[in-house]
Amino acid sequence: MSVKRKNKIDNGIAETEEALFMGNHAVVQGLLEAGVGFTAAYPGTPSTEIQVRLAKLHEKGQLYFEYSVNEKVAFEISAAAALSGVRSAVIMKHVGVNVASDAMMALAYFGVQGGMIIVAVDDPGCQSSQNEQDSRFWGKFAHIPVFEPSTPQEIRDVIPKIYELSEKYNMLCMLRMTNFTSLSTGIVKHKPIEENLSWNGEFVREIKYQIPARYLLHKGLHKSLKALAKDPLFEEFISLKESSSSSERLIITHGAIYPIVEYMAELYNFNGDILKIGAIFPLNEEKIAEIVKKYKYIYFVEELEPYLETEILAIIGRNKLNVTVFGKEKLQIPYENSLRPDALKEAFSRIVADPNDDSVFYEIPDPSPLPKIFDSEELLIPRTLPRLCDGCSHRGAFYSIKKATGEDFIIPSDIGCYALGQVQPVDVGDYWLCMGGGLGTALGMSKVNGKKVIAIIGDGTFFHAGMPALLDAVEYNHNITLAILDNSLTAMTGGQPSPSSTTWKRKNFNPINLEEVVKGLGVKWIKSVQAINVKENVKIVKEALEYQGPSVIIFKGECVVNKLRNMKTPVKPLSIDQDLCTQCGNCLIDFACPSIVKEDGKIVIKQDTCTGCGYCAMVCPVKAIK
Amino acid sequence: MKKNKETLNIAFLGLGGQGIITLAKMIAESALDTGKKVCYNEIHGLSQRGGSVQSFLRLNEESSPLFASSDVDLVIGLEKMETLRYLYGIKGHKPKVILLDYFEIRNTNYFGLEVFPEEEEIDKEIRERAEELYIFDSENFKKQFKGNFIPYNVGIFSALTTFEELGITEETGEKIVKKLLGKNILLSQVNKKAFKEGKKWIKKI
Ligand SMILES: Cc1ncc(C[n+]2csc(CCOP(=O)(O)OP(=O)(O)O)c2C)c(N)n1
Ligand code: SF4
Ligand code: SF4
Repeated sequence: MSVKRKNKIDNGIAETEEALFMGNHAVVQGLLEAGVGFTAAYPGTPSTEIQVRLAKLHEKGQLYFEYSVNEKVAFEISAAAALSGVRSAVIMKHVGVNVASDAMMALAYFGVQGGMIIVAVDDPGCQSSQNEQDSRFWGKFAHIPVFEPSTPQEIRDVIPKIYELSEKYNMLCMLRMTNFTSLSTGIVKHKPIEENLSWNGEFVREIKYQIPARYLLHKGLHKSLKALAKDPLFEEFISLKESSSSSERLIITHGAIYPIVEYMAELYNFNGDILKIGAIFPLNEEKIAEIVKKYKYIYFVEELEPYLETEILAIIGRNKLNVTVFGKEKLQIPYENSLRPDALKEAFSRIVADPNDDSVFYEIPDPSPLPKIFDSEELLIPRTLPRLCDGCSHRGAFYSIKKATGEDFIIPSDIGCYALGQVQPVDVGDYWLCMGGGLGTALGMSKVNGKKVIAIIGDGTFFHAGMPALLDAVEYNHNITLAILDNSLTAMTGGQPSPSSTTWKRKNFNPINLEEVVKGLGVKWIKSVQAINVKENVKIVKEALEYQGPSVIIFKGECVVNKLRNMKTPVKPLSIDQDLCTQCGNCLIDFACPSIVKEDGKIVIKQDTCTGCGYCAMVCPVKAIK
Repeated sequence: MKKNKETLNIAFLGLGGQGIITLAKMIAESALDTGKKVCYNEIHGLSQRGGSVQSFLRLNEESSPLFASSDVDLVIGLEKMETLRYLYGIKGHKPKVILLDYFEIRNTNYFGLEVFPEEEEIDKEIRERAEELYIFDSENFKKQFKGNFIPYNVGIFSALTTFEELGITEETGEKIVKKLLGKNILLSQVNKKAFKEGKKWIKKI
């Protein structure tokens, strides 16, 4: 079938300008240069900057973009565009792919007409995530080609090529990024695109979408993957950096950490070659075997899982190659966390050592199986971990919930800024699992533990994955209370709109009424309160907890970061009247805004960080905070 | 361990909301403006204010913005505890350190286990770990401004124009501040002033 497309495509050949781009912005540039008119996303750090920029381009009318309600919907909307011959892209963080995967695994069988990329941004080190899963595995699992560029320039350059391959082989492709490639900035040669991109397409019915014997599509898919692996354009993604002298040693690594590996190789005077795999799946077996067989010693350097190690070991086996392999274990490369240069020091001292000296490759015992809270044994320097902002409205809801529940309640929390309510001194919430997992598990917790359970969720997470669990609560009359902390925003990911945001102006958009949705799901006991009324809300929480069956309280209070962003007048910080203050510590310890500190024995408010929100004044029993 | 002589490795350390990434960006834009290669990276958690933020920048390099801590040339710290934590990780090497003399008192105690060191103790440790130490006088710099928006990052950027190895002239610096921070009329005035004032408040210890 011929693809109808009105957008001009340059395949990234013409470059007219140089500018600093972070990896995420280079993605957008690549999409524009590839003529991609249709995009959708669900918020998630570290993919945020891609989405923010696309949202701006949409407001300007340059292309279509939407923040969908969750990753699955974002994926499906983009899939429809690709099935109708329109180039599309869907953007999410790594765990978002889990949500989208049901649709993704099936779309791989259909194939696409217009090129389609799913951009998945991994977060090694869990800087802003619930886990650090390695998205490279999706390629093999879902049968989709996976590309992994190294630098902003490369990101911008490869995207048009990926679309070309996606259309040539009718395959959905994945662009796998990490927090390193997403958040690294470099100089990028590019061609600015000003014209508006079309997203009009035409769906043509095909028998393959309808037949029940889907295994036939599975068969075709493997055939296409084999052909793709040998395509000269695809082969470009495997590149060998040769040292000047002929060497017996080869490091095999992948795009996302290639710049770091190259740097370390130089730092350690590594006298050998480096094979960079910029397309993780499918691997071209012949080409890799051809390269590997020229060496005596092979070293695998990979972030997170030993994916290439496992795959290439199989290639080595099938081709009966006579090489000695050093992988994760022998090089003592951690499975966890991002591989920054310091984390690779041990590995490189082993890579440059005598490969035949067994004493080099001993196993280092893990000193402590427990999480390390302190960074150093000499002087204790605690890490500065994230906390709720000064003036965050969630703190008001937590204060009321804490006073109403005491010690007896199981409090599942969820994913969003409010997950930080679990740490001291706020200390409300027992765990956070995955988006919507707090409410889902609350149902079982209440059943098995035989008591009322109060779950915490944000407006964003409620719409994303909380609604089905609430429906279940109504259907089976589970004895839970759900506190929805509605700050009118998806805040944790940098402040994107949530479906109910009214503080966010968007084109062609109808804000969703949260109360009506909760009612519509069949909940009989609902109260909507202002989070700042901390004392009255204690009573309301108690009522909700006494109710047998599902009850919902909606705490309203705008995210202070968003509020400050839109404020026209300067902030007026509050202060504590020292003549009235009795040093009771209610504001300092129970409420715990970071702007409230103890200095020279007195409780004071830091004037340079206080946002003037007024919440702390509501908890002071003697009205000393003004 | 060999290294390109031209390369300058810089680490920026501080807290969310201090404008660390913008500071790195100002330096990178200045480099681009003068035709140098440059790359940088940012490491931070979520969107809340107050968490650790780090940025690593390499001048005259274009591939990996990250480098080994033993390879750092210049450490720019906007908060004392954050700076010391990084200096602690460096073994067998002392970098040049530029420090904003600011120490954040923390009242959030994650699991109720942390013990926060005293400011004097931190000062002493930083002094021992720096080859040369330059202090940016936050108190006196602050006095030049009304209101609670104090652009320390622009002040430090201004001070950096006095460090030859960075090769940022006053004209370039001024141009970049205008380019990056000149959109908001109100703040652009404050930033302009910060750029004018900054270099007065740095001194070698
Ligand atoms: C499957 C998945 N997608 C996206 C994310 C990224 N993420 C973290 S918190 C969050 C939502 C926060 O919104 P909300 O529940 O309204 O809480 P707030 O941060 O506003 O308090 C998102 C989308 C994630 N962790 N998991
Ligand atoms: S008014 Fe009170 S609660 Fe609000 S930011 Fe200031 S100190 Fe914190
Ligand atoms: S970003 Fe908004 S919701 Fe998140 S902690 Fe800060 S104020 Fe609260």
